[in-house]
Amino acid sequence: MAAIDQEIPLNILLADDDIDDCIFFKGVLEKIPLLTCLTAVHNGEELMRQLTKEAYELPHVLFLDLNMPRKNGFECLSEIKLNPKLKHLPVVMFSTSHEQEVVSRLYRNGAQYFIRKPPVISQFEKIIQQTLILIGQNNLFQPAREDFVLVA
Amino acid sequence: MDKIKSDELIKANKELAFQHEEKEKRAAELGIANKELAFQNIEKGKRAAELGIANKELVFQNKEKEKRAEELGLAYKELVFQNTEKEKRAAELSIANKELVFQNEEKEKRAAELSIANKELVFQNGEKEKRAAELIIANKELAFQNEEKEKRAAELIIANKELAFQNEEKEKRAAELIVANKELVFQSMQKEERAEEKEKRAAELIIANKELAFQNEEKEKRAAELIIANKELAFQNEEKEKRAAELIIANKELAFQNEEKEKRAAELIIANKELLAFTYVSSHDLQEPLRKIQTFVSVILENENENLSENGKYNFQRMQLAAGRMQLLIEDLLSFSRISTTDHKFEKTDLNIIVEEIKADLKDTIQGKNATIDASDLCPANLIPFQFRQLMYNLISNALKFSHPGRPSRIIIVSEIEKGNKLNNEKLSPEKNYCHIVVKDNGIGFEPEFSERIFEVFQKLHGKEIYAGTGIGLAIVKKIVENHNGTVTATGELNKGATFDIYLPAA
Repeated sequence: MAAIDQEIPLNILLADDDIDDCIFFKGVLEKIPLLTCLTAVHNGEELMRQLTKEAYELPHVLFLDLNMPRKNGFECLSEIKLNPKLKHLPVVMFSTSHEQEVVSRLYRNGAQYFIRKPPVISQFEKIIQQTLILIGQNNLFQPAREDFVLVA
Repeated sequence: MDKIKSDELIKANKELAFQHEEKEKRAAELGIANKELAFQNIEKGKRAAELGIANKELVFQNKEKEKRAEELGLAYKELVFQNTEKEKRAAELSIANKELVFQNEEKEKRAAELSIANKELVFQNGEKEKRAAELIIANKELAFQNEEKEKRAAELIIANKELAFQNEEKEKRAAELIVANKELVFQSMQKEERAEEKEKRAAELIIANKELAFQNEEKEKRAAELIIANKELAFQNEEKEKRAAELIIANKELAFQNEEKEKRAAELIIANKELLAFTYVSSHDLQEPLRKIQTFVSVILENENENLSENGKYNFQRMQLAAGRMQLLIEDLLSFSRISTTDHKFEKTDLNIIVEEIKADLKDTIQGKNATIDASDLCPANLIPFQFRQLMYNLISNALKFSHPGRPSRIIIVSEIEKGNKLNNEKLSPEKNYCHIVVKDNGIGFEPEFSERIFEVFQKLHGKEIYAGTGIGLAIVKKIVENHNGTVTATGELNKGATFDIYLPAA
């Protein structure tokens, strides 16, 4: 395990309407050797309300599900990247399917990474850990296109 | 003496008596001659009267002819006007035809962008183009006929002028005859002895009358010819009208067919949208619950491992395998439908680069199978890059998958531009150039009777326990080649290898 020097826990915000996936995510964070603090919201509107609350301290990273009711991941990503206060927040896109076009559009819209939700829990753990380490190393710059999609 | 004198007197008397007789005879002869002259004068008077009537008759006929000539002139103008109208109409139709031809081309472009279902429409377009070409030829024919008619009309104008001129000449002649007749009448009344002159004059008049009668006949012939020419023109006009009516019907037919095509294209667009909607549903909504099943199984196997019996673990593992296989099927089905729904943009592409990229992607498998891939100097080709990359990926990964366990895998890829008649494939046009790409391997091959079936969706030659796969890979290959308007064939021999020949139309 690549250890990173952690004095404070990584603040993680998860936006996913799927309760099962939220439980998987929580379980994954408990397993990996990183100090984390998870907050979850369950639709796009709730996410944007949360992010734009006064005196809200931004998380270190946002995991954003693509397919959500009321306001989907695409819309949220655009709003975040157009908001001067939020645009530096690293956004990791999160989806079951992997459509080349969708991925390219997310890259153009300023997402930090794209993760395809893996079907096996051990892969899930591996990819989340890998992502958090990458975010810890460089949370400001968008990677090159070929490094945008993370695979377990 | 007296006797002598009386003899002389008797002689003298006899002489006188004789002379007297002679004179009486002469007087009688003179009386007869006078009667004869009087009779001749009467005859001449009658003759002059007849000539006067004949002249009046001729004058009347001349006037009739003039009227007739005027009527013909009007009829001719009318025909000229109708010809001009027809020409305008033909020009309008020609423009309408061009417009339709142009619309057909536009439609063909659109139809070409749609899927294979459009091929039928493309065929109909071909038929329409032929029809339009025939119409253009028919219009040219009409234009040519119009020109011919104009020539004919010009000839008629000249002929009419000629007739008018002859009529004028006749009128002059008739006027002269009237004067001459008056002169004759005057001379007859005077009963002067100018019989010889009169006879000459009468002879001249007879000749003049014959001449006039001859001219009348000629004119009648000419008038008859003009009537025939007018009938001919009228007939041609009718024919043209019929033709124009046919063209109008043909145009309506074309317009109707265009509408039908538009409807069809609209239906296809809707069908494509439905297909896209299905693609999205399967890409997301189907994958999500499946992934959850897989994740839950993996969680149980990881966290509850010690609580499960061996049989329970085995069943969960089988469940995991089945779910994995379903995931593969969904993904392959998605790429199969994506091939038909995405835009087809042809680009000049370097096949060498595509093969190098695939080699990099498959690096681990190539090493694991101890395989070599020989591909060099592949010709550039006009194709849809991302689709062709998938095609080559499917063929190369198939060749690696079905490699022979007893020998290192060797894959040879060559390509060149060749004429259809040199390629030994009946689906190709002999005179067209093709980019011929060959992917050949030394793997397990297949029985020759399966050479068509392996391209069908879900057709597999091996059980999934031996060779994983969904049976969609080669169906995708075939679909991509069809998207490139090309042909693909497979030849194989069991345990010796398989060869895939791809023929793409080249410029």
